[in-house]
This record gives sequence, C-alpha cells and structure tokens, in this order.
Amino acid sequence: MNFRPYALLAELTYQCPLHCPYCSNPVGYPQGEELSTGEWKRVFGEAARLGVLHLGLSGGEPLARRDLTELVAAAREAGLYSNLITSAIGLEQARLADLKHAGLDSIQISFQADDSALNDAIAGAKVFQRKLDAARLVPENGLPLSLNVVLHRRNMDQLAKIIALAERLGAIRLELANVQYYGWGHLNQRQLMPTREQVEAAITVAIAARERLAGKMDVVYVLPDYYETRPKPCMQGWGRRYLTVNPVGHVLPCPNATSIPGLHFESVREQSLAWIWNDSPCFNQFRGTAWMPLPCRECPQREIDFGGCRCQAALLTGDATVTDPVCTLSPQRDIVDRIVAGINAETVEIADWTARRNP
Amino acid sequence: MGSPENFRQNESMSRVDLDTRPALAPGVRLQADPVSGEPVLLYPEGVLVLNETAHAIAGHCNGQARVREIVEALSCAYEIDESTLSADALECLADLAERNLIVFKP
Repeated sequence: MNFRPYALLAELTYQCPLHCPYCSNPVGYPQGEELSTGEWKRVFGEAARLGVLHLGLSGGEPLARRDLTELVAAAREAGLYSNLITSAIGLEQARLADLKHAGLDSIQISFQADDSALNDAIAGAKVFQRKLDAARLVPENGLPLSLNVVLHRRNMDQLAKIIALAERLGAIRLELANVQYYGWGHLNQRQLMPTREQVEAAITVAIAARERLAGKMDVVYVLPDYYETRPKPCMQGWGRRYLTVNPVGHVLPCPNATSIPGLHFESVREQSLAWIWNDSPCFNQFRGTAWMPLPCRECPQREIDFGGCRCQAALLTGDATVTDPVCTLSPQRDIVDRIVAGINAETVEIADWTARRNP
Repeated sequence: MGSPENFRQNESMSRVDLDTRPALAPGVRLQADPVSGEPVLLYPEGVLVLNETAHAIAGHCNGQARVREIVEALSCAYEIDESTLSADALECLADLAERNLIVFKP
C-alpha cells in the first residue's frame, strides 16, 4: 500500500533559550552540522512533491535560525502551509512582519503556565512577559495564533486560568498536551506525572471549555495515556502521514524515534526524501499491520490505534515490537500500572527535575 | 494590544444571511492539492477537501462580495437556479463558519 505524508516537522535547530524538563528533543543529541539554508530548501521542495501540505517549523527554537525568513519564503514557494512552532523568544514586531511578508501562515506559541513565577520556573528562564508581548503581536499582524501548553503535575491545577489566558490573547486554538514520557520527559517522569485526581479534574475543565468556546477557540486536549486503557494512535500510524527531519538531517517517522534502539535513520544529505519515505527500512519497519505481535495483530482496533507507540513500547519494555504497554490488553500493562501507582503515592518538589540542556 | 475579539468572530457574528460578506479567516488558504488536483482549504493543523460547490463559493469569499452577489455570479456561471443555489451557499457557508474557516465582514 502507498502512504502519503501530509505533514513535515522540520526541527531547524536544537538551540533553545528555554530549558523545559519535558522537552521532546532527545537527551543525547545526534552529532553533525545543522542543515544549511540550501539543504532545507531542497527538503521542502522534495516534501511538497511527495504530497506534504503542512510544514511545522520547530526546534529547539526555530527563531534561533537567522535564515528563518528565507526558509519560510521557500516553503511558501513550494506550496507548503507553514506554521511556526516557537517559544516566542526573539519574536519581535520587525521579525514578525518579515515572516508574514515571506508567507508564514500561522504561529503556535508555547506557554508553560498562566503566571510568570510558575511559567519561568518551568521554562528555566525569565520569559513569561516576553511571551505575552510576542503573543499579542500575532493577531495584531493578522496571523492566527495557537497556544500550546504542556500539562503536568505542577501546572495542571491551573488549567482554568491557562484557558483564560489563551482567550485573553485571542488564540484561535489551544493545544493542551499532557507530557509525553520520552527523552527529557521520561527522565523527569516522577516529577512531572500528574495524579489521577489531577487528571480527572483537568478533563472536566477542558471539556467544559471546549463546549463554551466552540466557534471561537478550538480546545484540543491530548490525554495522558498512562491513565488510559487503550494506547494513543501514535502519529496516526508509523510512516502513514507524518515525517520529521531533525536538525542534522535525519528523517524520522516520529520526533522521538531516535529513542528506539537499533533503528537506522537515513539522512537527507545522502538519500532522497521520496526514497526514505517509500522504501527505507526505517519507514517500513512498523508500517501497516504485518509487523504486529499478538494481541494487536488480531485486534479489531489495530487500524484505529496501530498498536500504540513504538517509542513507548521500547522505552518501557526494551522491545519496540511489542504492544504499547499502555493497552490493558498488553501482557505488560503491569509496567504502566506500577508507574502510575508509584506516582500517586509520592510527592516531589519542583527543584528535583533535570532541566533540558542545549547541545 | 489590538482587538483579538475581532480577529475570529464570536458566535453571534457567525450567523450567515444573504447580506453578509464572507472572507476566508486569517491563516486559511485555498489552493489545489498538488497530488490530487482537488481544491483544499489549508488551516492551522488541518486540511479540508472541498467539493465543487464549496470550492466555487470559497473562491469568492473575499470580504467584499455579499453572499447575494456570490450567488448571482455562480448562478450565472453554472446556470443553476438562484434559489437552489442560495440555499446551498448558505448551508455551505454556515458549515465553513462553524469550522472557523470563514469570517463575516460587516
């Protein structure tokens, strides 16, 4: 079967002024030079020809790339819809106007909390006011603003206030994403994972907000999957819709895929994006359903959740080919149950987590 | 700060009638899908494939033309009866407005 990629996540750099303890970047950064302006432009063109419509410009902090405006212009020229995924540090009026002029379509800004003390404690940098200032510029410049707030033990109880902040800023979309426990998030799991009580209260708040704000702001709530009974349909299936190119040019089926031992990642410096997507062993490793173990292989949900997340299976069981242990049908669900039980029994201070470091 | 309230219209403003002037919402782009050739609306985190009617209507959503004028133009171009077309157009615009893909100018 042929699959078509719809969205490319371009991680332009690992450099970032923030030090969030749940960063999705790998804890051990890959070696290599960042892709050049010319290399990224070529990748955007190749992606568009493969069928990609959406481009996420991410990092690290994409504004740390001095050639960002040129890259946005190249994306527009290739026909891609570009979304800047940013901490907003470095997003000033002149730069924003340049980006818009170059064809940037939308901006997603991260907030760590709704007040400066907590926001800056989580970000590990004094950034809250600068984020506010930048966020206000986005609608003023006629661009759609999305907010992304990663939820965890320390900020989940402020959810109602976080939603109110997004409303005040005129966001059209609010993504409330529970921490995913890979990389830095996995390293800090004990400090970050919310209690069951927190999760249940937050869901109630999120659902009420989604109904109240319908037609004004899309409220997207990404569930904390350890508290679920079925796994998330990670990436809508391996190699089905999404691809990520990291700062050094490796092409990944998901941004966390480098955490899976034994996978070989191809480079846009050596292969065409089309070959990597269609034919490389990496993208075919967990594509479709033939690779699935039991119980997934015979499960009526196999085309709904695709066996869950390969990175999570690898991280929790040491074997990327088994059912995501979040699934209660997994013979290894006890691993998740033990973690959740442990989390609900302890209290940890904020200072205990390991802040993200730049390469 | 500016007036984000006006950036995406609230529910009371999203009601559509023949005198409203629809426009694509900020950040919404109409283009042809380079693979299938089908018309699509691209927006933050999403893609909507348009049928022929929706494509024709979306192409006229420029914030200037009233729904009435769009219907007249399309009725002429496609030789469809105006009353049928205006019902279809209003339904289509209401649907796009509910998805936050178009806004209405006063």
